[in-house]
Amino acid sequence: MIDELRAALDSDRVMESKLELHLYGRDAGVYRGNPSVVAIPETTEEVVEIVKIAGRHEAPVVARGAGTGLAAGAVPTEGGVVLVTTRMNQIHEIDPVKRTAWVGPGVINLDLSHAAAPYGLYFAPDPSSQAACTVGGNIANNSGGPHCLAEGSTVNHVLALEVVLPDGTLEVIGSEAPDPIGLDLRGVMVGSEGTLGIVTRALVKLTPIAPDIRTLLCSFSSISDAAETVSGVIARGVVPAALEMMDQRIVEAVENWLHAGLPTHAAAILLAEVVGETAAVEAEADLIAEVARANKALEISVAAGEDERALLWKCRKSAFGAVAQAAPNYYLHDTVVPRTRLVETMNKVYEIGRRHDLLMMNVFHAGDGNLHPLMMFDASEPGMIEKVQAAADELVEVCVKAGGALSGEHGIGREKRDLMPLMFNTADLDAQARIKETFDPFGRFNPGKILPAGSRCFDQSGALPPGAWV
Amino acid sequence: MLRSERGPSTRGVGVTSIRAASARIARRLEAPTDVEHRHPASVEELAETLSQASSEGRTVLVWGGGTHQGYGYRVSPDLVVFTDGLATIVEWEPDDLTVVVEGGMTVAGLESRLATRGQTAVLAELPATGTVGGALAAGISAYRRGRFGPTRDRILEVTLVTGDGRVVRAGGRVVKNVTGYDLARLAVGSFGRLGVIVSACLKLWPLPQVSATVTLDGDLGNQVYRPLAVLEEARKSSVYLAGTEEEVAAQIARLPGESQPGLVWPELPSGPWTWSLRVPPATAVGFVSALPDDFVHQVGVGEISFTTEDTQGMEDLRTKVEAAGGSLVVTGRPPGGEFEPWGRPPAGIEIQSRLAAAFDPARILNPGRLPGRI
Repeated sequence: MIDELRAALDSDRVMESKLELHLYGRDAGVYRGNPSVVAIPETTEEVVEIVKIAGRHEAPVVARGAGTGLAAGAVPTEGGVVLVTTRMNQIHEIDPVKRTAWVGPGVINLDLSHAAAPYGLYFAPDPSSQAACTVGGNIANNSGGPHCLAEGSTVNHVLALEVVLPDGTLEVIGSEAPDPIGLDLRGVMVGSEGTLGIVTRALVKLTPIAPDIRTLLCSFSSISDAAETVSGVIARGVVPAALEMMDQRIVEAVENWLHAGLPTHAAAILLAEVVGETAAVEAEADLIAEVARANKALEISVAAGEDERALLWKCRKSAFGAVAQAAPNYYLHDTVVPRTRLVETMNKVYEIGRRHDLLMMNVFHAGDGNLHPLMMFDASEPGMIEKVQAAADELVEVCVKAGGALSGEHGIGREKRDLMPLMFNTADLDAQARIKETFDPFGRFNPGKILPAGSRCFDQSGALPPGAWV
Repeated sequence: MLRSERGPSTRGVGVTSIRAASARIARRLEAPTDVEHRHPASVEELAETLSQASSEGRTVLVWGGGTHQGYGYRVSPDLVVFTDGLATIVEWEPDDLTVVVEGGMTVAGLESRLATRGQTAVLAELPATGTVGGALAAGISAYRRGRFGPTRDRILEVTLVTGDGRVVRAGGRVVKNVTGYDLARLAVGSFGRLGVIVSACLKLWPLPQVSATVTLDGDLGNQVYRPLAVLEEARKSSVYLAGTEEEVAAQIARLPGESQPGLVWPELPSGPWTWSLRVPPATAVGFVSALPDDFVHQVGVGEISFTTEDTQGMEDLRTKVEAAGGSLVVTGRPPGGEFEPWGRPPAGIEIQSRLAAAFDPARILNPGRLPGRI
């Protein structure tokens, strides 16, 4: 297989040294895999070739962007070919009138927004890793980010996809026109974590930069007061562009690094942003301040200009880097709860940390109930990984019991695959498995992800007429 | 870009919601009466009905409000299954801006309940007599999608009863979720081919404090950031505004034209044949001039609804629309009227066909209704 791949690609884009296989056997999370080869295509045709070659050798194909994922979605847990899209990084076309862009899957999220900025446009999904992660990875995981509270996740910004399917065929699904006819294959492809198809080009929507913006920083003496403020703002009928919470430990770590003047004495801070017409942002900013005051905010300040605003967002988005001061390793979780259950869930999250004697930090998308508890640890301590895993499982269970979901934006991957039965029964999982089977009957693309083994097991014997296609 | 040069409006500003409502009711179709009718009162009863129909190979036509039955290839059913026995709000969390509603509830019924707490599911304003399940199955969006996006962006969870009577749920009751394949989104626009939508969790938005409709007598330009909608009709163009009092007042002051309070939606074009033209938004203006007078163009969205009996002319129009990357869809037709309802099937038709088979193996639920006779 490797020889065939070398013949199809330049040989320096087919890698098989021990070091290279090790590097591409992991993502930013804790799982490891052992690929047999790494292939780096530059064109759609090369992706088709790789898929066909792997298919002939019955080898799995695991698509990978920048490897910033945390749920092992791009980890080759069952070996095979790691197909790296980072060299497919051309912005093929930006159309400022249509407000769209055709991009390669390897284009870095922030590069696209920078390229669109001269036209007053940007790419709305803004995961914290946006300076490194790729649009292809965003599509695979249906990534969110702080600003998806009002703008929606990646799927809301994808119009059409050129995809290579597991049998090597190429299709362009979706349309620039609204409501394409037929089943929405584009919609189900987004968030499918490379298990249904490999995106080789994407037509994405670009969003106009708002005429005005206000960014508020509110601090509180308790997590509960901050969480009540979040619930209160939503309940008052305001959906801000972003509504982010950071707890004291995160604030201390970030402040220690960036010296941005964050209030380290507060138990929690809220970062709220509203965008739109000036009259609207003023009214909404006033309302947020009012709700924060009613929930005993210690201080409320508004970013004085673009520099101050940019600094606040830098603090938020670099939090995961800043925590390295606290411990050598962290396990970052991603779960969702209904916004009305934020306060009680946060209390339980800290309680789990205390019970397992783990340092727990929280920085998260409070406005949409998307929690990101960080458990800090030293992996070299014996038994530590098991302890962290036990606490993580408890966390997920608490969130699902509160009516929540396993993942808000990181994906299921390998990490949460076996937790799927917490949310779904046998018939539900079987339906999911049927979708996978429809696209990939031989299980070639990213096997062992999203669905636990045995999902396709629902038995409806006797209910079908003879000759029916099951 | 907006055409306002056609002279003064003859339809004027007096279009009331009552008149629009009566026009909508007239569009309802009646279910075929010469076959068996069922009105399942529970999900279990519906599942049993479909399981039995699957084992007997009896074709089922799913019927909500009858407002979108004009779409797609005709189905000759052995059985009509109505969703009116599944028509309640299952769970509503006003403080979380989510609602779980059964598919048989009417859009108007849901929206009026939600309005009591100042919320909206942003479902289609017209025709309000349709059901939530029907609007989802047909993939119909509100005019307000200009601000809030299409309906498929707001479905969070779905429960389907599949053709062979399995009850399957996907998604979750939270506003952000990537747990598993997005079957909820896939169900939107599926016209019942994957299953009957028995319930869905929808993301809600607060109703604005103030709204207004401005009939333009000049160029809209870039005057308004994200209006609810911009609708062009034959003799006028209107901008629909919503927000705080100050915001709406500021927008009205910048716009050339006459404003009136509230959202005054146009009547849907009505006639024996109705059509939905969908093209890339920036190209839509080029198609408007070729259309007869009774149309509504959702500016910036790329959809034009219109009526014409000139089916011959629609062949040519469809060729142009498809060349522009769009589709021309029949949304209503007279009894016995025949015209290819969808036009050229989309890409991935084989996968679409296999997906339908995975959810409806005996091929009994609205069979053949979708493009490619899936």
